[in-house]
Amino acid sequence: MQGYIIRRIIGAVFVVFLVGTFSFFAIRVLPGDFATASLGLDAGSADADTIAQRKADLGLDLPIGEQYANWLWDTVRLDLGTSFLTQNTVWYEIGRSLPYSIELGVLIMIVGFTVAIPVGLISAIFQDKPLDYSLRGLAILALAAPVFWTAAIASLVVLQWDLFLIDVIGQPHLWEDPGRAITWYLIPMFAGGFAGTATTMRLLRSQMLEVLRQDYVRTARAKGLRESVVIMRHALRNALLPVLTVMGVTIATIVGSQVILENMFNIPGIGNKVLTSLFARDNPVFQSVVLIIAVFTVLTNLVVDILYGIIDPRIRLS
Amino acid sequence: MSQIIDPTVVPLRDPTVLERAGGGVRALGRFLRSKPLGGSGLILVALFIIVAILASIIERHDPDQIFETPNPDYKANPSTLELARNPDIGSPVLVSQFEEPNTDHWFGTDKFGRDIWSQVIHGSRLSLIVGLGASVIAVVGGLIIGMISAYYAGIVDLLIQRIVDMLQAIPFLVLVLVFTQITERSVLNVVLWLGVAGLAITTRLIRSAVLGVRESEFVLAARVVGASDLRIMIRHVLPNCVAVLIIAFSIGIGAYILAEASISFLGAGPQGIPSWGQMVQAGRGSLDLHPWQTVFAGGAIMMIVLGFNLLGDALRDVLDPRLRGA
Repeated sequence: MQGYIIRRIIGAVFVVFLVGTFSFFAIRVLPGDFATASLGLDAGSADADTIAQRKADLGLDLPIGEQYANWLWDTVRLDLGTSFLTQNTVWYEIGRSLPYSIELGVLIMIVGFTVAIPVGLISAIFQDKPLDYSLRGLAILALAAPVFWTAAIASLVVLQWDLFLIDVIGQPHLWEDPGRAITWYLIPMFAGGFAGTATTMRLLRSQMLEVLRQDYVRTARAKGLRESVVIMRHALRNALLPVLTVMGVTIATIVGSQVILENMFNIPGIGNKVLTSLFARDNPVFQSVVLIIAVFTVLTNLVVDILYGIIDPRIRLS
Repeated sequence: MSQIIDPTVVPLRDPTVLERAGGGVRALGRFLRSKPLGGSGLILVALFIIVAILASIIERHDPDQIFETPNPDYKANPSTLELARNPDIGSPVLVSQFEEPNTDHWFGTDKFGRDIWSQVIHGSRLSLIVGLGASVIAVVGGLIIGMISAYYAGIVDLLIQRIVDMLQAIPFLVLVLVFTQITERSVLNVVLWLGVAGLAITTRLIRSAVLGVRESEFVLAARVVGASDLRIMIRHVLPNCVAVLIIAFSIGIGAYILAEASISFLGAGPQGIPSWGQMVQAGRGSLDLHPWQTVFAGGAIMMIVLGFNLLGDALRDVLDPRLRGA
């Protein structure tokens, strides 16, 4: 078991290293750089010296190999550098934006799972009944609807009937001003939850159908247990495991939709940082933000895999 | 034509696929009956393909044409005071912006007085090109890489699998955003980059299929007879992976269409061609009063993705029931 865990951890660290390397080179391969862009309209008329000076200030004039070595050494020491755009340290930027993303991400997951689990369950219990068909139809629609459109339609509904105020001033956190924060998060969290967990619902349904045919479920029924006990204690528990194993993928999907939702609703989270730093060619921020997202996904996968290995010995041996 | 026909070369076909295709119309009818959801997906997809091909015929108006209405308050040579009260008074016509859906403009008009119906009709072209094109690239690339990865195992496999892990640790949308920024954002480049971004998923899917086939007895037999690696791959492994290839192709299309719509929505999509994602964004500026552009363009995205997803699900169930729910 220990060997398995160590192997998995080494693999995870290597993947994070690859992601860092990828984002380091990706942002530098893109046409344009911050030094030229920061001159704005003057870039055309600026002489080569000014641009060169700016590049030197930002450390963009060094050979790419040296830049990479510097980045690697700094990152290993957890020094993420300073944002080109705001002149704040990247840690400060992340510390400011990460809480928003975690709030929204957790809310999306809560919405997603509180919808997906009962729906998947009901759908499996009433297999091939009208209820099953309509719930599955809903899941298929949720999977097909672009998250920005669902969010736009939801805003439209809110605006038409004047349900609550969408434009919240002051970017409050949930713990600072729960009432205003929740109206701010309400549309993105439902749009994200709707889109992000259609897969979960479908997976849970197919797992439930499989589990319900197992001998131990028949045994439980034969013992005369109540149907609710059979389903909740014997079937659902086993059907949930495979759903949890795809948590890493679920999180990656949710972060992807967060990029759009944070942009739409002016939530200054990590997803928004990805966009602004990418378009502004703010290298230090972009690299670090992509790295943070990757650490989240990889860590989730790692924890899930290790837990799964503990539960199911067949996994760690393969 | 002086073509030399090698009698030993038999066309590569999966017998199961051949059997189903053999019935032609009858097989199609059977598919529609046994898989009503997949059938409706097929109809949706066919509808969008017809619309895309015939866009110039069913458009009703040129999508770029700006519609105007006569200005009721028009006055030649207005005084400065009148101009200050009503800045439009000097022009004989007004742009007919934000018209509600009516018999002439079925979906209404947008902010610039253009016909939304024609724009939506023309937008289907981009979505279809992007979805189908990117999926072809992802499957062909994934086939090559997945076969190499599975067949040679060892260090090559390990390295490829870690790179796939890396690509999957980055949200697909971020990956696509980065890739498409590298080159000029022409339709062709966007299709190409979407396919490259999709490689991770197809490679993984195809690799596991090849791994399964590799262990079968007929591959062992071929190796015993002395067949080369290349021959084994092309003649024995590939035909047995056709089902997975079709599945990988069909289930990816919806995701690529959504990804293109998303980057277009964010203003980073392909340029110079009507795009539904871009239209959803354009309509958002006046959403509360004039929602039609957003509603119809987004609805079109949902319908086309729905069609491809339903079709892909049904194909997967028919071709490989083991992958159900994957």
